[in-house]
Amino acid sequence: MALYNFKKIMVVPTAKDFIDVTLSKTQRKTPTVVHKHYQIHRIRHFYMRKVKFTQQNYHDRLTQILADFPKLDDIHPFYADLMNVLYDKDHYKLALGQLNIAKNLIDNLEYLEQVRQHLSRLPSIDPNTRTLLLCGYPNVGKSSFINKVTRADVDVQPYAFTTKSLFVGHMDYRYLRWQVVDTPGILDHPLEERNTIEMQAITALAHLRAAVLYVMDVSEQCGHTLQEQLELFNSIRPLFANKPLIIVANKCDVKKISELSEENQACDQLLAHRVNTKMKGKKVHDVLNRLHLAMPAKRDEKERPPFIPEGAMMRRKAMEVDAPKRKLERDLELELGDDYILDLQKYWDLMNEDEKRDKIPEVWEGHNIADFIDPGIMKKLEELEKEEELKERAGEYDSDEESEDEEMQEIRILAKQIREKKQLKVLESKEKDVHGPRMPRTATKVERKRLEKEMGNLGLDMDDKDDSHYAQQARRSRSVAKKRKREASAPPTSRTRSQSASRPPRDQSGLRDAKMAKKTKKMMKKSQKDMNRQGKKGEADRHVFDLKPKHLLAGKRKSGTTDRR
Amino acid sequence: MRIEKCYFCSGPVYPGHGVMFVRNDCKTFRFCKSKCHKNFKKKRNPRKTRWTKAFRKASGKELTVDNSLEFEKRRNIPVKYNRELWDKTVEAMKKVNEIKHKRQARFIMNRLKKGKELEKEEAISEVKKNIHLIKAPHAGKAKQLEDKMVQKLQEDVDMREEDE
Repeated sequence: MALYNFKKIMVVPTAKDFIDVTLSKTQRKTPTVVHKHYQIHRIRHFYMRKVKFTQQNYHDRLTQILADFPKLDDIHPFYADLMNVLYDKDHYKLALGQLNIAKNLIDNLEYLEQVRQHLSRLPSIDPNTRTLLLCGYPNVGKSSFINKVTRADVDVQPYAFTTKSLFVGHMDYRYLRWQVVDTPGILDHPLEERNTIEMQAITALAHLRAAVLYVMDVSEQCGHTLQEQLELFNSIRPLFANKPLIIVANKCDVKKISELSEENQACDQLLAHRVNTKMKGKKVHDVLNRLHLAMPAKRDEKERPPFIPEGAMMRRKAMEVDAPKRKLERDLELELGDDYILDLQKYWDLMNEDEKRDKIPEVWEGHNIADFIDPGIMKKLEELEKEEELKERAGEYDSDEESEDEEMQEIRILAKQIREKKQLKVLESKEKDVHGPRMPRTATKVERKRLEKEMGNLGLDMDDKDDSHYAQQARRSRSVAKKRKREASAPPTSRTRSQSASRPPRDQSGLRDAKMAKKTKKMMKKSQKDMNRQGKKGEADRHVFDLKPKHLLAGKRKSGTTDRR
Repeated sequence: MRIEKCYFCSGPVYPGHGVMFVRNDCKTFRFCKSKCHKNFKKKRNPRKTRWTKAFRKASGKELTVDNSLEFEKRRNIPVKYNRELWDKTVEAMKKVNEIKHKRQARFIMNRLKKGKELEKEEAISEVKKNIHLIKAPHAGKAKQLEDKMVQKLQEDVDMREEDE
């Protein structure tokens, strides 16, 4: 006995709520995004999944509801009677019954979805327009025929029942569009025993008002004798009532029998049939009184035949004769297969035939040769060369190294020396260290050596100048200066001397011998070398003088790039 | 395949290099490098930008009108291929090129001749003004005087000898 908990019965939502809840759950729980470029089976699967999920959901909820609500026969009779009194037993049972039906109904969703998908893929056959219907045994050549005659691309294979459903192709004849319907093969057995594939063919035969082309395989390659094919023909004959019928003997290249029909006949027959039926119909009369064929009355006896331009006549003749086509490039390609090379140069129209495969030079040293091409270039070149000769003779191209006289050369040398001297002077004045007030030149003492050297450079004779005035003056002042110097540098008192003598100087303290002293000095120099080179005050000097060096950031942009700025 | 001309600097644009800009009026501008392209976008006039060929030709720094320059010209009438013609053209082109270079060089040299004259005059004036920097005014004078005196003495002696 099922245990019911009246307090825990599932909420029965309203119809609208029920649908909303389920649909939103489907939206949330199933994949939502599908792209056009997915494979078709994935897209179909996507939709199927949504439908299935919805169905499952509804089913579950309804089942839950039905399970939760107590069955009146299962509960204690007290509750059964109570419920009858309060809620009316019949109404209650009916309601639950209807819910059950709804649950069963929902199970059809999946089936319907599949039907929808298949239905959209059925071929679009217009039952009212001109149609040719191909029927016959399997493997007789119906699909090959439709492939040849229309642009359809039906599978053609050696096994029977390659075509499993109806296929439609379209062709043009007499400026009209014709439908050609290819059917799966029909085997000879009674209607009840036919499977779905054959039934499609039978349905088409039964309902489409078309010209029927019954295709027979005279070579018996399809696996059925002519006798069998005839029997089939007879058995489905009742379906051909009221339709123009053509019997097509196919595969006669294998086994020769004169062909019984061509497609033209089939179409013409159908047209005639259709016109006849239309004429018989009632609607024709409405149209007939609107139709009037106007024939022009003859003015005189002059014959006025229809005018066909010559070009059209020629083309018509060519079409009839079926002139041999010229060999196409495509044919050549198929012939040569792998060896084929596309060589368009053979079509060129040049004056000499053997120049067609020349490799033409295009560029020389930065010039395009095509810019020089000119039929009259040789003449122009001759004129130019004559001009050039004249110019040369006139002396235009003589190198003008003027033979300068010696005087001019001397002047140039002197000018150069003067310029150098000037530059040196400028540099000297820049290097001058100006400490303190600017003194006149006479305040600075000039050494004798320097004076004599400079004057010597200027060309004056400076040997034996000991008794010149400046030398004598220098001697007189020298003695005084020397004396003063000696007084200034008097040795210190004994006390300081002894102190300084007892303490060894710092660069000698701690060193044992000369070798060690030498090494120490070397080490000192080495550690100072880098710092000195970079002009640093000491180890701790990390000052950068130039954060934006000009040579890296300034200047014009020459032929290079700017990506290192 | 063609070697095009840069619109801004008139240099060669080889295939695979540079940038082409197409304006709304369908005029195309080719540039050989981003320098030219950027200058163009700044709307600078190539005839006033000193480093371009256009400036040099417009301000007469290079040979502009000459027969040898008329050979290389883009003609809009196609000529059918003829091996003979192409062979001759290639040879002619080389000769024309030589002559063209000679004439261009000659033109520039002539232009620079004036500078030589000026240089000469400058040297002369320099020497005149500043000779004192390398040669004292009476540099060789002492020697000269000495020589003169010696000569005079010699003459005196000779004269006295003659007298006696």
